[in-house]
Amino acid sequence: MITDFQAIDDIIREKGTTKKSLIPILQSIQGKYNFLPEEALKRISEITEIKPADIIGVASFYSQFRLSPVGDHIIKVCVGTACHVKGAMLVYDAFRREMKLEEGQDTEKSGKYTLEKVSCLGCCTLAPVVQIDNITYGHIASDQVGELIDDFEKQKNTKVKSLFRRADGSQIKGEIRIGLGSCCVASGSGEIREAIEETVSGSGIQVKLKSVGCVGMCHQVPLVEIVPNDKEATLYAKVKPQDVKDIIETHFNAPNILTRLKNKLLNTVETIQTDSKWEGIQRYELNVREKHVSSFLGKQVPVATEYRGVINPLDIEEYKQRLGFKALKKALKGLSPEQVIDEIKKSGIRGRGGAGFPTGVKWELVARQKNDLKYLVCNGDEGDPGAFMDRMLLESYPYRIIEGVIIAAYAVGAKEGYFYIRAEYPLAVKRIREALSICREEGFLGQNILDSGFSFDISIAEGAGAFVCGEETALIKSIEGNRGFPHIRPPFPAVKGLWSRPTLVNNTETFAQVSYIIRNGSGKFNRIGTEKSKGTKVFALAGKVARGGLIEVPMGITIKQVVEEIGGGIADGRKFKAVQIGGPSGGCIPAHLSHTPIDFESLNKLGAMMGSGGLVVLDDTDCMVDIARFFLSFTQNESCGKCTFCRVGTRRMLDILNNLCTGKGKKGDLEELEKLAEWTKIGSLCGLGKTAPNPILSSLKYFREEYEAHLNGVCSTGKCTELITYSVNEKCIGCTLCAQKCPVDAIAFKPHEKHEIDTGLCIKCDACRQVCPEDAIDVT
Amino acid sequence: MINIKINNKEVQVSKGVSVMSAAKQAGENIPAMCWHEELEHYTSCMVCLVKDASTGKLFPSCSVKATEGMEVITLDDEIYEGRKTALELLLSEHVGDCEAPCQIACPAHMDIPQMNRLIAEGKFIESLQVVMHDIALPSVLGRICPAPCEGACRRKSIDEAVSICLLKRFVGDEAYEAVFKNLEIQPRNGKKVAIIGSGPAGLAAAFNLQLRGYTCTVFEKEGYPGGLLRTGIAGGKLPGDVLDREINNILSLGVRLILNENIDAGKFAAARKEYDAVVLATGNLSVGMKEWGLDTTEKGVKVNKNTYETSEEGVFAVGNALRPSRLAVRSVGQGKEAAFSVDQFLSGEKVKGEPGTFNSRFGRLMKDEFAEYLKESVPGKRFHPKEGPGKGFSVEEVKKEALRCLHCDCRKIDNCKLRDFSDEYKANQRRFSFGERKKVVKHINHDMVVYESQKCIKCGICVRLTEKHGEKFGFTFIGRGFDVVVGVPFNEDLKEGLTKTAKIVVEGCPTGAISMK
Repeated sequence: MITDFQAIDDIIREKGTTKKSLIPILQSIQGKYNFLPEEALKRISEITEIKPADIIGVASFYSQFRLSPVGDHIIKVCVGTACHVKGAMLVYDAFRREMKLEEGQDTEKSGKYTLEKVSCLGCCTLAPVVQIDNITYGHIASDQVGELIDDFEKQKNTKVKSLFRRADGSQIKGEIRIGLGSCCVASGSGEIREAIEETVSGSGIQVKLKSVGCVGMCHQVPLVEIVPNDKEATLYAKVKPQDVKDIIETHFNAPNILTRLKNKLLNTVETIQTDSKWEGIQRYELNVREKHVSSFLGKQVPVATEYRGVINPLDIEEYKQRLGFKALKKALKGLSPEQVIDEIKKSGIRGRGGAGFPTGVKWELVARQKNDLKYLVCNGDEGDPGAFMDRMLLESYPYRIIEGVIIAAYAVGAKEGYFYIRAEYPLAVKRIREALSICREEGFLGQNILDSGFSFDISIAEGAGAFVCGEETALIKSIEGNRGFPHIRPPFPAVKGLWSRPTLVNNTETFAQVSYIIRNGSGKFNRIGTEKSKGTKVFALAGKVARGGLIEVPMGITIKQVVEEIGGGIADGRKFKAVQIGGPSGGCIPAHLSHTPIDFESLNKLGAMMGSGGLVVLDDTDCMVDIARFFLSFTQNESCGKCTFCRVGTRRMLDILNNLCTGKGKKGDLEELEKLAEWTKIGSLCGLGKTAPNPILSSLKYFREEYEAHLNGVCSTGKCTELITYSVNEKCIGCTLCAQKCPVDAIAFKPHEKHEIDTGLCIKCDACRQVCPEDAIDVT
Repeated sequence: MINIKINNKEVQVSKGVSVMSAAKQAGENIPAMCWHEELEHYTSCMVCLVKDASTGKLFPSCSVKATEGMEVITLDDEIYEGRKTALELLLSEHVGDCEAPCQIACPAHMDIPQMNRLIAEGKFIESLQVVMHDIALPSVLGRICPAPCEGACRRKSIDEAVSICLLKRFVGDEAYEAVFKNLEIQPRNGKKVAIIGSGPAGLAAAFNLQLRGYTCTVFEKEGYPGGLLRTGIAGGKLPGDVLDREINNILSLGVRLILNENIDAGKFAAARKEYDAVVLATGNLSVGMKEWGLDTTEKGVKVNKNTYETSEEGVFAVGNALRPSRLAVRSVGQGKEAAFSVDQFLSGEKVKGEPGTFNSRFGRLMKDEFAEYLKESVPGKRFHPKEGPGKGFSVEEVKKEALRCLHCDCRKIDNCKLRDFSDEYKANQRRFSFGERKKVVKHINHDMVVYESQKCIKCGICVRLTEKHGEKFGFTFIGRGFDVVVGVPFNEDLKEGLTKTAKIVVEGCPTGAISMK
């Protein structure tokens, strides 16, 4: 019970008393109390003009907000696409057992831990991922959850130093670059930095310590790059703190250790690509010029990710040295707004948010509106549970995006703008906030930018957890402080957007490509890509591929090239089955169509979609019905609930899929599913509902026989647990590991004998199969 | 002004109007549920889909403005299917009964909850009027009916079914004089109907046709009227004077009864010539009847199930003539329904039979929902007449028993867009009835209205109306997506939510989610 409202009153004083302040107020209150106490909400209605109906409507709409108290620590199990295909649900179930949670309960009896599912933590290459408070664990197996909680108990009190130390520039012998993307941070680059600092300060070596953004090689994190002044750079992957001393001494003192490490590398280069489990993770040196890695970067064309791994995200001087703000100066000093729009139109760039609307046409439409106040919104509400391009761009290239935004604002005549960024991306918010304030100091934002007479400023609106807010009309409602309900278009935001003013809404990646186009001219961009899809596209490559990570490829590259040449083929020697492109709005493209070029039209033709850029590779152990169910359960959960077809239609499709996956399918289900999917496409109000059926329709189109098998109660991949049984085969050596691991005592402890599984007790958690050293567990 | 084409018909409409209102101007009424004249369009229900003739694309007509040169189709097979699918999706989350389960179970389709409520209020005459709308022989059936309605009664799953049959008997015995005195009888229309058989089916047909202005003659082969009611009821459950009284009441309307008249093939043919229509209520099919030239099966005369038309024009058949049964209430119901068809036939209309309106149903009441339904009732098992079941209820007893009714029927049964459109589009509520159903909740803590959130289709009309009219709390959406519910913020009472807008919200609600008490 809150008795003193001082803290709440202070928050309101700081954030404001009108509706547009509602979400920030709620975020601050939750930051203080860990949930939204009802008295606090009532207090808002008493001392602001915001109505109770709006407060409750908004607080209950966004999944970030909690209306009841939670435990001291929150365990977030990522159930994004990449984590899903790597068994996230088994991990989630294991936590429920470990925490002894009863049905409908999410917090332990003791009140210490609360368990939550999250749709994507953006560390897809570490899948499956679990986050406890701010510590991230990757490659978790379902039998490790106990150890994981123990480890957290040990870790939580140790102080993590976030000191960044610079050596004296004059005496620098070289540069040590440490990856600071979320994947790197999650995999322990903080510890690595500490180890480096320790080594450097103890040895007296004079090097420059530098943090760099995401390089895109997220499967190899944490990454450390050593750049001696006079020698070639070497990139080390999966570095362990204990390796640091050796590495540094190798480059700056004794050369012999390097040779030793390299030999080790040659023998293990393949094994490091596979998914080692958490406790067994191997970290070795990896040279960027080695065959596998150079091909990882080789086919790529960096535009949005220009100078990846080279620039420090927040170092504005360095950005300027790397051609930063050249485009802005060119636009403001040498080009009229019409000329800028013309250049963008000629470049052929289309919106990178998914639908592919021509960017220049959109700009022109906004520019044509006569209004004394126009807005601009940078859409960073990346919601695809298998994609993290926006996050990486915002974290690693904040100035490039800001530059694109200012150019766009100039072109369309916008005076004010908003970065709308997912609340799940705290690092991105922090970087953009800092970058904005530096830009203001430097005169790139504010009044009379670069003495051009053009004025523009932009602030940050943090999302609060709603996939639908990636849809531009819902996004606008959200910034205004409402539930994220989309509305019918027309009117388009370009005509009537934020607070009914003309508003330009573009995706983060689109803005990230603007400076390249203006600086180099539309021709250079235009030459990349296909006839109707120009330039490059950033994808989050994840799933069963050997090398996952962030990639930027020219439009028109084939799926096969991405999977094989960039991704290094399928991991674990499995068979390539399909790629899922475009996440919940996209579809599955089977391996036999992998010669398909990646461009807007080709993907649409196959029933998939560019979407925001999630690219998840599936192998022959993945069940397509389960994948469709996974995406449907995501969209169903994210439906805002406004229109009938999306609110109820997605739910009913999910009901059918759930029945299929649990052996309750019946004749006629597939036909009904297909019909309902078609109608949901036609009858839904916004893009969420209109595209939600794509994962179903595309998998029905290419993998119908799998659906039919499910109707008969068969899941050949064994992913649908209610359709399978576990048994022990003749390979069993009686090592008892399975009996030790079984959480429900379904396997009797019989040393040296063949074990048996009591199927009546078995909960199909897969722990026995994972632990078995002899491949003696059958799943049928 | 703007020129647009609705179903190929040119219309001029003013700038800025929606396609839906443009269509209305062209005489096309488009169904819509989330649209409200006081409010801006909202685009939620998607029942108002129409088609852009040039692209073939469907769009919600309430939310799109008519533009110059637009060509719109307001109904075709695809649009029909789209609307129907939208309605079926809405019905799959609409947890509510239109008619009460008892009424649906009653073979005569009697409005039982309404009878109960009127009895509870002591309005016995009005109550019997409700009964006699469907049941011509209330006192008779009140003694012999096996009461399938009581089997379906929701109260039965809580403790014991409401004693419906005895309630009906009470009003039948108590109020018949006043009811017959005030019967609304159409003037004679000059048309004559022959009814062959004076059992429950024949009597019911005669009663209902006579009320409608037809002149009825009932032929009875025995020397007394009543058929099986007279001879087939064992154990003295039906005293002769009760049967006589109800028959006499019917005859008092001008129905002619001819006893000892055994109709054979020749007389049947003659009757068909003499009378404008013939209703066969002969009881079980006899060997002789096979010579009458009608299509029959082993069990009885073949009829159209909805209209009771036989294979011969102008000849209808009801009761045990169709198949042997010992359910008098079914015969009484069929007599009433056949009268409806005969009336359509003789009025020159297409014979469709009594219209069966769409009914939403949600199945069993769960244990944890009993309390919700009991909110509008009284606790305790059923009352038994002190004087014994043979004597029936006293005035005090009957009111107490009637109060046990749970009010399962919907309060907005005659004013529900969801029901009307579901009927019109022949929606099938069970099409998407998989998955768990929502829990039943009744909010009755308001002087004027009852709110049942599980019937809500999330159209947002109440949310928008309470906001527009400046309620302090009003209604709001709570939650998101499929699990969203509409409620008063901060769990305030319904009273706080609707301080001044109760009436307009009830009128605005397109379903029975919010209704007047």
